[in-house]
Amino acid sequence: MNQLGIKSEESSAFEFDQEKINQALDFFRSKLDSELVTAFSTCVHCGLCAETCHYYLVGREPRSTPAYKLSLVKKLFQRATSSRENGQEVLSRAEIEELVDVIFGRCSLCGRCFLNCTMGINITRAIRVARGMLAYLGLVPDGLASTVQTAVAKGNNMGIAKEDWLETVEWLEEELRAELNDPEVRLPVDEKGARVLYTINPREAMFFPMSITAAGKIFYAAGEKWTFSSENFDVTNYGLYSGEDDIAGELSARLIRAKEQLGCEEIILAECGHGYNSNRWEVFDWLRQQQSHPVRSILELIVEYIQKGKIKLDPSRNSEPVTLHDPCNLVRLGGLIEEQRYILQRAVADFREMSPNREKNFCCGGGGGQLAMTRFAERRLKVGQIKADQIRQTKATIVATPCHNCIDQLMELNKHYQLKVKIKTITELVAEALVFD
Amino acid sequence: MVFWVKLGVVISFLYAAAFLGYLLWRNFSFGHRLYYAHSRGDEKKGIFYALGPGLLPWTKESASRHLGVYLTGIAYHTGIGAGFAFLGISLLGFDLGHLGRLLFQVFLGGGLISGLGLLLRRIIQKSLRFISCGDDYGANLVVDLFLALALGHLFGWISEILFFVSSIVLLIYLPWGKIRHCLFFFASRVFFGRFFGRRGVLPRQSPQPVFSGERR
Repeated sequence: MNQLGIKSEESSAFEFDQEKINQALDFFRSKLDSELVTAFSTCVHCGLCAETCHYYLVGREPRSTPAYKLSLVKKLFQRATSSRENGQEVLSRAEIEELVDVIFGRCSLCGRCFLNCTMGINITRAIRVARGMLAYLGLVPDGLASTVQTAVAKGNNMGIAKEDWLETVEWLEEELRAELNDPEVRLPVDEKGARVLYTINPREAMFFPMSITAAGKIFYAAGEKWTFSSENFDVTNYGLYSGEDDIAGELSARLIRAKEQLGCEEIILAECGHGYNSNRWEVFDWLRQQQSHPVRSILELIVEYIQKGKIKLDPSRNSEPVTLHDPCNLVRLGGLIEEQRYILQRAVADFREMSPNREKNFCCGGGGGQLAMTRFAERRLKVGQIKADQIRQTKATIVATPCHNCIDQLMELNKHYQLKVKIKTITELVAEALVFD
Repeated sequence: MVFWVKLGVVISFLYAAAFLGYLLWRNFSFGHRLYYAHSRGDEKKGIFYALGPGLLPWTKESASRHLGVYLTGIAYHTGIGAGFAFLGISLLGFDLGHLGRLLFQVFLGGGLISGLGLLLRRIIQKSLRFISCGDDYGANLVVDLFLALALGHLFGWISEILFFVSSIVLLIYLPWGKIRHCLFFFASRVFFGRFFGRRGVLPRQSPQPVFSGERR
């Protein structure tokens, strides 16, 4: 623990080589553009952003104020753009520790401060660029760094071997055949010429296999030509959270390559907030490559199925009251706002909105890589209190959310705050409501 | 004497404008953010929203939760705008007339009281004090002094030379500190509108989703 009361394994192990810090500042400078530099010239420290941040709201700690976080990044900007003499200390140990604690530990990159900033400053992006600089110095907190490394080395963030993945699919296929009483049902893998390449969060394969069968059931009902990839099936991209553009670009590029190898028309992303932001929006900026193929969320595809009459739903099959948690990366930063509502209004009998909702919704606390950074777990559960209160107020017994990261956090909140709710994906609720003629 | 001080105001104004122009050029020299993904919404509508309806207090939680502070800020900025208008009128030697003087007294007085209120808020609130730097206090004081002397001159309590000198101080200070947001605010709002407009978040679209999803 340091004088700030935080553990700092990385910074204590970190060798304070000022030359390396200088290089990191040059790297930081290379990531700047007019939008970011304008952000540093625009913040007037009005402080109105404070209460838009869930970190500030639960503890009222001034260090959690978005404007303070931005001021730390502004300091990096000032040092990166001013002349630096050889041997001069450009960043002290205390400053580095403060950066790691605030930039990684007090922000879930949810974008709520950005949306509500009276000036319109993209604080979220500034923080992510600062994370990238800390990553350059090897200062990404352990859990997040290892998750990124696993994805790079093994092809998915859980390190699932290809054989295990194929075995899981085979087992789930048998389960689905039994459930639908149809021996022809398939969960296809590497099917060339399929229209849709479907991606999943590896946690589904490990802990939530029912959400995979749910998607398979929907595709079956809609008569879709789809496939998994045996190698590149991971929709997640923790490079978004570590701020490493090169790695993030490579992780998302793998899905594009898989789509091309299999000759699919479009990539359909499983329910994953940051996976959507990464693979629908950011990847093309990371790769500096014009988007040339459609990338959609499975929510958009389900809406299409409903509107084209390809699937039929009976909401009475989901009779319990359901509320919806809007994942920040999907909704506020991704623009998928009404699709999940359109679906739930047709798949469940009693749908109740949280307040606030849509782009104004509060983060559950699990985003920004917080679930991976175990050192901040206590803080993560504490900031989740806002979400827990939102859920309680709806009196719903099921919380639906189209994001597996959010699901993990909501499950922990469910236990911690004794909410006594079930947490489900939208796909699962749709699969339960499916009517076969 | 008055002529030379007036000339000083004009030179200070040109200096501030040139400096702001330089800062804008420097910011833009970092290059613009390029977007490569297909737009889901409408960038132009997003920018229009950001510079128009998106400024209204009920569209932003930060403003709606602190309506008093928001309105104080509006009054402060209106006062500053009136101050600069009054500076121009004074430089040109126009007569405001009774009604004009009354209007300026209201705007300048309201602006001054609001500015002092915001300064007091910054001093009293712990979290605001924590994020504040010298410039936050300095900029407020320089502007408040400008408004106070404008008001004093309007009432005939102080000479116009003092008011012009305070204007010179303000114009020289302007590009160095946070007051430069008078320019960058608009750039920032354009970036905001571009981002949320492209992604189809703002302005709020039809509640009925369209299955085609993407727009090229």
